[in-house]
Amino acid sequence: MESKIEQLRQEAAKAIKDVAGTLNDLNDIRVKYLGKKGELTSILRGMGQLSAEDRPRIGQIVNEARQQLEQLIAEKNQELKAKEMAKRLASEKIDVTLPGRPTNHGHIHPLTVTLMQIKNIFMRMGFSVEEGPEIEKDYYNFEALNLPKDHPARDMQDSFYITEDILMRSQTSPVQARTMEAHEPNSPIRMIAPGRVYRRDDYDATHSPMFTQIEGMVIDKNISFSDLKGTLEDFLRQIFNKDVKVRLRPSFFPFTEPSTEVDISCVMCKGQGCRVCKGTGWLEILGAGMIHPNVLKMSGYDPSKVSGFAFGMGVERITMLKYGIDDLRLFYDNDIRLLEQF
Amino acid sequence: MQVSIKWLHDYIDFTETSDELADKLTMAGIPVENVVHAGEGLEKVVTGKVESIERHPDSDHMFITQMNVGQPELVQVVTGAQNVKQGDIVPVAMIGAKLPNGLKISKGKLRGVPSNGMLCSADELKMDLTTLTDEQKDGIYILPADTEIGIPAKDALGLDDDILEFELTANRGDCFSVFGLVREIAVLTGNTPKWPEIKVNEDDDVSTADMIKIGIEANDLCSRFSARVLKNVKVMESPEWMQVRLENAGIRAINNIVDVTNFVMVELGQPMHAYDYDQIAGKSLTARRAVAGENLHTLDDSSRTAKGEELVIADSEKPAGLAGIMGGLESEVTENTTTVVLEAAAFNGASIRRTARSCGLRSEASGRFERGVDETQTMRALDRAAQLLQDMGACTVTKGIVDVYPVEKQPVSVDFTPEQINKRLGTDIPAEKMVEILESLDFKCEADGKGGYHVAVPSWRNDVTFMEDISEEVARIYGFDNIQSTTPEGTMVQGVQSPLQDFIDHIKITLTHIGLSEELSFSFSNYDILDKMLVPADSPLRNAIPLMNPFVEEAQLVRTSLLASVIENAVRNLSRKNEDIRLYDVAPVFYPKSLPLTELPDEVVKVAGFMCGRRNPVGWNTGDDMIDFYDAKGVVEELLARRNITRYTVEAGEYTAMHPGKTALFKKGKDIIAAVGELHPQVAENFGITKKAYIFEMDVATLMKYSSAKFNFDVLPKYPAVFRDLAILVDKDVNASDIEKTIIGNGGKYFKRAVLFDLYTGKQIDAGKKSVAFTMLFQSNDKTLTDEEVDESFNKIVAAVEKKFDAELRK
Repeated sequence: MESKIEQLRQEAAKAIKDVAGTLNDLNDIRVKYLGKKGELTSILRGMGQLSAEDRPRIGQIVNEARQQLEQLIAEKNQELKAKEMAKRLASEKIDVTLPGRPTNHGHIHPLTVTLMQIKNIFMRMGFSVEEGPEIEKDYYNFEALNLPKDHPARDMQDSFYITEDILMRSQTSPVQARTMEAHEPNSPIRMIAPGRVYRRDDYDATHSPMFTQIEGMVIDKNISFSDLKGTLEDFLRQIFNKDVKVRLRPSFFPFTEPSTEVDISCVMCKGQGCRVCKGTGWLEILGAGMIHPNVLKMSGYDPSKVSGFAFGMGVERITMLKYGIDDLRLFYDNDIRLLEQF
Repeated sequence: MQVSIKWLHDYIDFTETSDELADKLTMAGIPVENVVHAGEGLEKVVTGKVESIERHPDSDHMFITQMNVGQPELVQVVTGAQNVKQGDIVPVAMIGAKLPNGLKISKGKLRGVPSNGMLCSADELKMDLTTLTDEQKDGIYILPADTEIGIPAKDALGLDDDILEFELTANRGDCFSVFGLVREIAVLTGNTPKWPEIKVNEDDDVSTADMIKIGIEANDLCSRFSARVLKNVKVMESPEWMQVRLENAGIRAINNIVDVTNFVMVELGQPMHAYDYDQIAGKSLTARRAVAGENLHTLDDSSRTAKGEELVIADSEKPAGLAGIMGGLESEVTENTTTVVLEAAAFNGASIRRTARSCGLRSEASGRFERGVDETQTMRALDRAAQLLQDMGACTVTKGIVDVYPVEKQPVSVDFTPEQINKRLGTDIPAEKMVEILESLDFKCEADGKGGYHVAVPSWRNDVTFMEDISEEVARIYGFDNIQSTTPEGTMVQGVQSPLQDFIDHIKITLTHIGLSEELSFSFSNYDILDKMLVPADSPLRNAIPLMNPFVEEAQLVRTSLLASVIENAVRNLSRKNEDIRLYDVAPVFYPKSLPLTELPDEVVKVAGFMCGRRNPVGWNTGDDMIDFYDAKGVVEELLARRNITRYTVEAGEYTAMHPGKTALFKKGKDIIAAVGELHPQVAENFGITKKAYIFEMDVATLMKYSSAKFNFDVLPKYPAVFRDLAILVDKDVNASDIEKTIIGNGGKYFKRAVLFDLYTGKQIDAGKKSVAFTMLFQSNDKTLTDEEVDESFNKIVAAVEKKFDAELRK
């Protein structure tokens, strides 16, 4: 009996070992030896004919053989599965160097990208975002900003007129006066006003009849020129980079006193001097100043009680410098090959 | 304004280089735009005399010259110039010279003949061409016959001087003069000016007042008019030094009389004019308004008809000049002139500006008047001019000045306290330092005994009237660099933008996510575009605002249609072979309340889009499907969904530039919230678009009106959903949305939604019919639905659809 079991065990073990085909082949072997009618199972079934003392011994031998075979089957099963998986994997190989399926996605215009960044910086500093009409009264565009008719500074911005008193606004500054008028006199204001502005300029690499400006204004008790300096330095380091150097030069705007041009160290050459900065190492980036007392007065604020600063900058110029774009017209050409880069 | 360093050095010593000086001036608010290092690159250019000249044997346009450059041996130079002859003295670039234009001169042969240098033109020497005659500009620059031979050409040409080119601000009229700049340089460099002594010897016995009458009729436009008379005038060339000074200031030398008036204008900042006395009718000059229709015959020999507002200087018969802008031709100083009237006056800047602009005549003089001249120095200017001409031996000077000065200018006084200034600047500058700065700028400070000061503003600083102006003077000399940086104190306010701005930003982000790219377009338009878009003659879109002064004819209107802008940008892309386009624009259009405009127009923000080309980006696995109407409609639906706009109706309709059979209008009641359609084939043809394109337009305010700010989360269902498909045959022209409405209306309480998933016409289906299939979802929030419950709902839907559309259920 024992030898028969041993023989079966060896036979089965060999058969398991020799399975070269599929999991089905292995299953057949399991059925043949261990199935309900399997050969080893039959021995267990025939145990009743054995003596009482043989029974436990033979039972144990059979069970051991069974366990061993089950283990072998399990191992073989693993082996075959791994083989099958390997085969499948090998057969499923693809050319991963083929390009991925392109997704459809759009792009925000580069000027809007910059505008959103600028708005975010100022909103974090507590500035609200104000707006005003693009077709504007001469009064708000010029007179309320201390620029009476025939003021020579009006030449700096040749405007598109619609009637004698209505024009395409040449700057976002009229929003200053409108914002002050909308506030209680002398109440504090921190605002920026982004928007399209229009000037009768030639259309070339650095000029456009329409462009985007951002105006800013802070009014409160005790606002000083040093606040202007600190605020704009902070802004410029955020929008460009933290190492950018900032330089203020005295200048003239009718609506501010003192007035300043604000330069940054050239972002192209790091201030060494290049074509972009015309060899000076500096780039003019915005105009600013302490709000002229006349401007405050005209909009109902009292210059003896409050003071403020204002600034203005061109979104095109900042965007051109940030991305090394050398022709402003690219922004209004809207060539999708440009748009898709942003 | 440009001025040479040598001219500045005439009146002040300083050790700074031209670049250092330019930097100091710039940082004090006197911006130097450019420093021209004249003579740079001319180190090896000398004067040479053409000893002989002969034709090149192998060239029909070249010559071989033997040049005397002050060396023992003649130098052979081959030239292509046609204007050189024997005996001429010309600039010769020697071997080793590197000219301003980068050209290096080396030994060479031209068509086989050795050439050891180059004869130079004015342009090659980087001379200021604006001061030269055409003769001097063309060909080789011929030097005066008495020029020394073999000396550096830059000395002979007056190019041994650096030039500062200023871009002065509108407030600093005083710096449009050498004296004004010298005053600033004195403060910035700590040196003392050496002012010239202005003294005139009235050596003619005649009294000026007996010779000429001066009058001011237009008091508001002319505040002072002073004149001198010069007799025995000899009109000739002015001395070389004066010509060089003027040329380096960008002013062409003409004759001694004109040159001196220009010289004094640049030196003192006071424009002047010289009249030929003998041509002045009635021997009187009056500043008056021109009479409308009067003829103005100016120096440039052009005749203008006066509008009637211009300020003129008139003799007893006619205008003798446009005041402050250009003199009259009849009274021009010529070589026959023997007696001259010199005018130095103060004219109203705004008036001069208006007239100069309307005549298109901007001159050195008008630019100075516009910014304001120092009217206290008209007599000084006359004396200076007379002195200079007398020194040249060019005239005698009559006794006295005729000066009409109805209201003498009173000195301006400004009060300030150092606290005010420090508060405005955010500084801690001591009072003494402020006073020192102001005194250095000739602002006389007088303590008021209470810690403040009265400041007497110098007559030339008409830009200073407020304490704030004083703060600028202190700050710019103290140095902006020396002011600290702080952040504003005070009430902290929240940084916000308006709901409209938020809404627009969200629209942009949504459309970008859906796959469209943003464009930014000009707000201009023209009638041709409206024609191309088939805008009817009576459409309000034709009611566009015209500009008075468009920059080009194509931009004569302010736009009323944003669709026009997206179409134009698409056309530009298509012309560049960018075939697959998905563009959108969010921008205002402008609707006038009436024309001509009497009040501000409505600015209405629109969203417009244009789509054409492939549905998917080009790829090996993306197919060739082209965008169709339903892609564009899907964009609109998604945008509305993202903005929480629901329960709208969609119907076929008509819209600008859209195909009348392929236009969907999204509506809420009577309001159109969106229009989407195929670009009208005729419009496409008009714009040269050869492929099918789809456009959409929306109105931001209307979208916002229906956008529900409130957003409620739908609880996820706990019980399973049951799906049923419904496929029916209906007549071809039944609208899918009508079927859907019927389904929704009859779905019962467990019906959740229906999705159209198949649409078929063709084989196996009768012509005139179409097969439409919906999948419907039923669900309860309280229980798992039984088949019977779902069947009941489903059957009700089927019955309704069959009845309403005569539909045949497909099994």
